[in-house]
Amino acid sequence: MSEIENVNNELKLIIFKLGREEYGMDILRVQEIKRMMSITRVPSTPPFIKGVINLRGSVLPVIDLRTRLGLAETELRDAARIIVILANETTVGFIVDEVVEVTTIDTKNVEVAHALSTGLSTEYISGIAKADNRLFIMLSPDSIVNIQQA
Amino acid sequence: MDVNQYLGIFLEEAREHLQTLNRCVLDLEHDPGNLQILDEIFRSAHTIKGMSATMGYAAIAELTHEMENVLDLLRKGTLKAHAGIIDTLFQCVDRLEQLVEEVVSGQSGGVEVAALSAKLAALAKGEAEPVALQVAEPVATNETVTAEIALNETEAQLVNSALAQGMQVFQLKIGIREGTLLKSVRAYMAMKALDELGDVIKTDPLVEELEKDNFGQEFSVVLVTESAADKVRDVILSIAEIETVIAIPCASTETQANLPKVAEQATATAAATAVEQTREAVKETKTDPAAAKAKGRALLRVDAEKLDSLLNLVGELVINKTRLQQIGLSNQLQELSEAIEQMDRVTTDLQGVVMKLRMVPVGQVFNRFPRMVRDLSHSLGKEINLIIQGEETELDRTVIDEIGDPLVHLLRNSIDHGIEKPADRTAAGKNPVGEIRLIARHEGNHVLLMVSDDGKGLRAEAIKQKALEKGLVTKAELDVMDPNDVMRLIFMSGFSTAETVTDVSGRGVGMDVVRTKIEALGGTLELDSTPGQGTRVRIRLPLTLAIIQALLIQVQAETYAIPLGSIDSTINIVPGDIRTIQQQEVILLRGQIIPLVRLGRRLGIAQAIDFDAEQELYVVIVQSGDNKIGLLVDSLVGQQEIVIKSLGTILTGIKQIAGATILGDGQVVLILDVNSLG
Repeated sequence: MSEIENVNNELKLIIFKLGREEYGMDILRVQEIKRMMSITRVPSTPPFIKGVINLRGSVLPVIDLRTRLGLAETELRDAARIIVILANETTVGFIVDEVVEVTTIDTKNVEVAHALSTGLSTEYISGIAKADNRLFIMLSPDSIVNIQQA
Repeated sequence: MDVNQYLGIFLEEAREHLQTLNRCVLDLEHDPGNLQILDEIFRSAHTIKGMSATMGYAAIAELTHEMENVLDLLRKGTLKAHAGIIDTLFQCVDRLEQLVEEVVSGQSGGVEVAALSAKLAALAKGEAEPVALQVAEPVATNETVTAEIALNETEAQLVNSALAQGMQVFQLKIGIREGTLLKSVRAYMAMKALDELGDVIKTDPLVEELEKDNFGQEFSVVLVTESAADKVRDVILSIAEIETVIAIPCASTETQANLPKVAEQATATAAATAVEQTREAVKETKTDPAAAKAKGRALLRVDAEKLDSLLNLVGELVINKTRLQQIGLSNQLQELSEAIEQMDRVTTDLQGVVMKLRMVPVGQVFNRFPRMVRDLSHSLGKEINLIIQGEETELDRTVIDEIGDPLVHLLRNSIDHGIEKPADRTAAGKNPVGEIRLIARHEGNHVLLMVSDDGKGLRAEAIKQKALEKGLVTKAELDVMDPNDVMRLIFMSGFSTAETVTDVSGRGVGMDVVRTKIEALGGTLELDSTPGQGTRVRIRLPLTLAIIQALLIQVQAETYAIPLGSIDSTINIVPGDIRTIQQQEVILLRGQIIPLVRLGRRLGIAQAIDFDAEQELYVVIVQSGDNKIGLLVDSLVGQQEIVIKSLGTILTGIKQIAGATILGDGQVVLILDVNSLG
């Protein structure tokens, strides 16, 4: 929860889409955003691990967020991106359908997730942020990366 | 002054100097009069003293200061480096190590130096006088044998400190039956027995005299032990032809060092000096390793992490160069191709230099072994001479970091199980002093590390027996094994030939751990042994782990790399060559049955189940553990030098995959771990 309580009560989020829903993640965790590139499959890994990519000379695991969050798999479109983030002291890539924007929200507008859960695995969700008319599902990268839970 | 910023440098240098101290004191033990060694010890102690005083570590400074005093006397020759001094110096080094580690952990006050300092001070005073007296009173005879055995001040000090630690100190008068032939043998046996019970501080007459039969019907010994008087008496009386043992407990000996005894000490020293001189004469002809090392070159301390990132950058450069090469080729840009050729040469050189930067002499690992062997063999009552060769052989830093533990295991095994007790060795007609060799040398693209001993060797029958008992093999399996296979059984987990579990070895995990570690480093392990003559373990390690030669193969659309080191051969077969034994597909290679692994299926890729009768199939024969297996692949891409990359923390521990690499076109290719494919 510490990510939510930021200085100045403001939180900068990166907003991305999985299907029609919009998700948010603390921008400070994001290292860069890459276009889709060739991913090498790694055998004997859980299905949400898409494989590994070459990020300027280092090898980086990539997680398919849809599969990880229990959403239906779809064909990746052109807008799909790999968000490279720092979680649990390692660098990993998250595949998302589309990156929308970076936005600032007030921490007052963040609610705890449990009341709103809609069949989505709540352990990866740290809260729901409201801004104007939109709702962002806030993800907790550390628990997403924690494979032992899977 | 804020000293914290210098802490890292202090620790590093202190550790280095402690290592030098350890090594040099060990050398000094074998060559007590060598001034060069003494100088080196003195320099190291002095440097540590200076550094620690600056940093404000008073305890370290105090102890090294006292060490300097003793060392100075040794240098001047007023003091001789006898066993007592050597032991005390070792204790000092140990204590200094503890103190330095205390600095690391940030605690303080846990390690006590006052007692050691006092001991050093006593040593410094203790023998300065008797040697001076030697000139004045050179004539003293052995006829001064009295009821009381005389102790000089150093010995008195030892007795006092032993008493303070709650040990027993006895003066033993041992009488040998009249008319006994070869009294020296009885005396020798008694001394051996006493050595096992505790420490003999002094004998009267001297040991040399005892050995020459130069004594009457009795001799006296001062023994420091933890055992009771009765036990000591019983042990000695159990030796044939020893008639009487009188044990008198020694009280604290504050005032024992009076004149007549000093005189006696003087003769002892005189005799010792004579021996010393002849020994020195022999030694002088040898070249001095310490001096050779001291020459040195200009060295630079660099953070290992910086080297790692340099290596990564060079790896990237190599990848990008390959990519440029491909662009030049596919677009037929003559000029670009020529420029890249130049660049190719530079990057190859650069790569070579960076790889060399990571190479570290294996001596860094070896230098802690002499002390370990000394301490262990002493505690086991064995005499062992450790011979180290090829310390200058270089290995990649990552290998160096990992190789220490396996070597410790092997050495401990040799000391504990290999080398026999001196008496057993003598009985077997061997030199009572055992020999362990630790050798490193280059062998082609590998480095060979060899640990051999001249001990009792492994008995194939004992191994078979043990393996059966532990249920590791069946009788039928044993019957078809050749001797080498039998030896290899000791590398299986849960195996230990030691009859009793000691704290040295025999936990039944040792050799298994060694094997796993070596294989994880991409190395191989061989063991051969001749009963009665010794055991030899040979470890072959790749020169470097970061860049290896690999064969790229394809299964469907996926490419994988197989380290060339584990490939036996590649062959072409047709589907008709595949047979089955109990549902397991196998092929025949040079008359040997080799299990066939369909790589695609094993890696979770769909692969054709049936083949056309005429279809050509590729099989890569690899060494997987102790067995050969055949990997069925779709095609062979080619051989290439690859840079090994880690898969990152969240993907560690995946079976079948040992790592990843990046090809010239930027594609990530996984490296197969053939050991887990069997």
